[in-house]
Amino acid sequence: MSKITDSEMKHLAGLSNLLLGGAELKNLKEDLTRILDYVEELNEVDTTGVEPTYQVFDLQTVWRDDDEIDYGVKRKQLLGLAENVKDNSVVVPKVL
Amino acid sequence: MMGKTWGKIAEMVAAVQKGEVSARANVEKALDLAERCKNYNIFVNLTRKRALQKAEEIDQKLQKGEKLGELAGVPYVLKDNFLDFGADTTASAKMLAGFVAPLQATAVKKLEAAGAICIGKSNLDAFAHGGSTENSFFGVTKNFKDTERVAGGSSGGSAVAVALGVAPFALGTDTGGSIRQPAAFNGVIGVKPTFGSVSRFGVVAMASSTDTIGCFATNAADARLVMKVLGGKDSLDSTTIDNDFTPRGKQKLHIGVIADFMTDDVDQEVLAVVRKYIQELEKNGNRVETVEMPLLKYALPVYYVVVPAEVASNLARYDGIRYGHRAKTARTLGEIYGLSRDEGFMPENKRRIMIGNFVLSSGFFDAYYLKAEKVRTLIVEEYQKAFAKFDVLVCPTTPSTAFKIGENTDNPVKMYLEDVMTVPPSLAGLPAISVPAGRTKSGLDVGAQLIGARGDDALLLDLAESVENKKLKDKNI
Amino acid sequence: MISKEALDKYEMTIGIECHVQLKTKTKLFSGADNDARESEPNSKTSPIDFALPGMLPVLNKEAVRLAVRLGLALNAKINLKSRFDRKHYFYPDLPKGYQISQFYQPIIGAGFVDVDGVKVRVEHAHLEEDAGKLTHVGEISLVDLNRAGTPLLEIVSMPDMHSAASAKTYCTELQRLAIYSGASDANLYYGNMRFDVNISVAQKGDKKLGTRAEIKNLNSFRSVEKAVEYEFIRQVELLEKGERVKQETRGWNEAKGKTLAQRSKEEAQDYRYMPEPDVPPVVLDQKFIEKIKAEMPLLPNGHRAIWAELKLSKSVVNAILDNRVLAEKLTSILQKLASDKNGMELAKNITNWFCNVLLSEENATKDFRQLDVTALIELAKMVAKKQLSSTSAKEILLKLLDGKKRPKELAEKLNLLQVSNSGELETIVDKVLESPESAKAIADIKSGQIKAIGFLVGLAMKESKGKANPSVVSEIIKKKIRILGEKDG
Repeated sequence: MSKITDSEMKHLAGLSNLLLGGAELKNLKEDLTRILDYVEELNEVDTTGVEPTYQVFDLQTVWRDDDEIDYGVKRKQLLGLAENVKDNSVVVPKVL
Repeated sequence: MMGKTWGKIAEMVAAVQKGEVSARANVEKALDLAERCKNYNIFVNLTRKRALQKAEEIDQKLQKGEKLGELAGVPYVLKDNFLDFGADTTASAKMLAGFVAPLQATAVKKLEAAGAICIGKSNLDAFAHGGSTENSFFGVTKNFKDTERVAGGSSGGSAVAVALGVAPFALGTDTGGSIRQPAAFNGVIGVKPTFGSVSRFGVVAMASSTDTIGCFATNAADARLVMKVLGGKDSLDSTTIDNDFTPRGKQKLHIGVIADFMTDDVDQEVLAVVRKYIQELEKNGNRVETVEMPLLKYALPVYYVVVPAEVASNLARYDGIRYGHRAKTARTLGEIYGLSRDEGFMPENKRRIMIGNFVLSSGFFDAYYLKAEKVRTLIVEEYQKAFAKFDVLVCPTTPSTAFKIGENTDNPVKMYLEDVMTVPPSLAGLPAISVPAGRTKSGLDVGAQLIGARGDDALLLDLAESVENKKLKDKNI
Repeated sequence: MISKEALDKYEMTIGIECHVQLKTKTKLFSGADNDARESEPNSKTSPIDFALPGMLPVLNKEAVRLAVRLGLALNAKINLKSRFDRKHYFYPDLPKGYQISQFYQPIIGAGFVDVDGVKVRVEHAHLEEDAGKLTHVGEISLVDLNRAGTPLLEIVSMPDMHSAASAKTYCTELQRLAIYSGASDANLYYGNMRFDVNISVAQKGDKKLGTRAEIKNLNSFRSVEKAVEYEFIRQVELLEKGERVKQETRGWNEAKGKTLAQRSKEEAQDYRYMPEPDVPPVVLDQKFIEKIKAEMPLLPNGHRAIWAELKLSKSVVNAILDNRVLAEKLTSILQKLASDKNGMELAKNITNWFCNVLLSEENATKDFRQLDVTALIELAKMVAKKQLSSTSAKEILLKLLDGKKRPKELAEKLNLLQVSNSGELETIVDKVLESPESAKAIADIKSGQIKAIGFLVGLAMKESKGKANPSVVSEIIKKKIRILGEKDG
């Protein structure tokens, strides 16, 4: 049985940048516990000396030449997606 | 259900090219069908205006005697996690509701260049997290045969669109079964290609290491035609490869039946239907044998560590700052992040973000994430071993048929278990397709999953096509 | 105020992380223009830099090439296999919510910098993307993503420095290496180089290092030096008071001349590093590296070795090295003069011109590329042969900057050539000495007031219309007066 403490849940919510209500946090704690219990199964597998697989292809060194690319998108379009723009910049409340 | 509304895509294209049917007529018909299927909640948005405009362009091209593309005038349905110009790209999440993409996904561009016309953007589980299309901000999509049941997911809308004949094909994404499972639940063919076969550029990312783009169709030939257009290296996606979907002409394949997925854990009726399908394969002259793959059962726990980690990472860009939902009440920067994300994501999104951040966080990385990626290696190797002997592996696509709406929503693990057979090939980057294998006594559709070695997508389509042809022949005799 | 005795008990240990912006045309993972100097906000921003949904990174080959060049300049091992990782944190200038960096397998392995008696080991260096920029205006902050995605090489040193001066020496040499290797413009004004400095303090002789504080985002050598000096005293004061130094991140406040606490270790971020699934591993072959090696220019220490026989001071050497064009000219002059028996003297003279004329405040920003090395040597030879006064030589030197190749012709045209021919000069001197206005001066000289000779030289210069070589004239006058004296006596 994995044990996630309430403070760990808060820490996780912080890392996740989710402002969760108390009830939601409680539900998620139950779900997470269940899921983590489930994945405990992996400990049955002996992985001594096994390399991890992060990518499932044999590709390597895929790079491009140092030339400008026109993605067909203008600054106006990008800034147009933002809710609050000033002086061609995206506005956020003051960062401390 | 409306039955067969379209012929084979190749025939449709020929008719358009000969001027027998206009692209406009096809598009109008598809849009009309879409309207008539409203109660299934297939679409987030229709792309009527652009669709008609594109149809017009094709019809004018023909009049001018210009050459038309290989999918000229064929309407299709696009899962709403592809960026395209026809309508908003929402990923069925409040986070992206109203998001107008300033550029199109490579897959969409390719289809458009070939003359295919998107008529609408289909519903999915928000950010493709789920297996039932119940996690959509825009409501649940219903199964094509029984509106009490789920469409499957996450590409539920696309599957139902093809099953109901709204369009001859639809695009989906498959990270752990999101094409194959709804294909199985709705009696259509669903293709998840080898990882990297189709560019992911412009497709809302779920889990980068297993995300693939594929299609739904009513037959293997149509699916092949679409995959040929979609496939190929893209300079905007470093993980793409060239993959050849043309028939291999290989007769009498050696087929392995995955014993571990033919057990009592699987619905008996599903098993019976899949067994029958396997008999068909055998009757067609293929050699069938059973293979034990005991490590595959660990694929699901691996998946539910690795994928949430990548999900948490890929969803970090949705911060309410540059685009997407920004909480109305947010005053501080912390609130812009925290509230926008809290309001913009569905519970399942949040669940995966939290798990992902848990398994990546310091102190847990080795025990969960690294461990899972190591077991993943063993799974990849298990497949390699199997493909040293077999050409194709077969098993059910899902352990059961389409379940009732709401049946699995209270327990995430129970919901995850629906993916137990589709997830293993995803983790290994293998091609896998779900083919309609038959129906249960109550008339629910069952899918058989064909799995190939990396790059052997064509072989799977060959096999599916051979069974289809045999059935046609038997019918005609 | 802390006593000198107290400070003397302690030693500081410094490690530095230096971020160098690589001068590629486009960004590390997008094809957007990488040169955002003086650009409007967000004018150099692609959908990838804006982190729209579905956007993917594609690695810029040139960034890898420049990283390898700088790696070689750091005497470092180039790792044939490297890969990228995601470093997660939320900040408005970080559009994806993660930075693509290299945490597990960086491209550059261990190396070292050895300069002016300071030897610093490089732990590793890794490629990563820069973040955007925030401008704070009243109650809001403005996000500009022009810089987001600029390729950086982060060079991580071992804690091998123990003084503000050595820290500064290391940083200035990194700048030279970045410039000479061609990896970066390394212009501090434009933020091409930024430094994070780790400092800990322990009593001399202690085996264990003290708790370190990290001073983030220093953008000048002066601030590195000042911040280190300040931090040393701050930490010693704490220790002397019996308090402990907190492990924390601090910022340097230039106006106050202080470091200020920003974030303690307890609040330290958990970056949740994860292998980047969207970028395949980078596997270099030896040929790729050999080709870059073959293209590498002479690095600062190469120049230093060639200049060694000039016995220049370190500050002169570094001043010239800081103007790469002049440094390369000097090396090429020394190579050309290698077999010249007066070569060393000529080269020294040229070095003097470099330091005193070309690198003077009024000329330092000029473009020296057109300066012809052969012409410079010829000019130096003319001075040695006394054909030119040093003042005239400087005048001609500045004229050579626009690419003129014949100093002699220039001197002739400007009428600057000196008469050093003694026959001609003797006639002039004779004429001067015979003149009545010289009589008093001659008498003074004879009575021992040698200084009066200046007056006679002046007359001779006037007589020659300025072209006489004054030192030769002086010698002739002395000789003639002696002869006069002997006659008289």
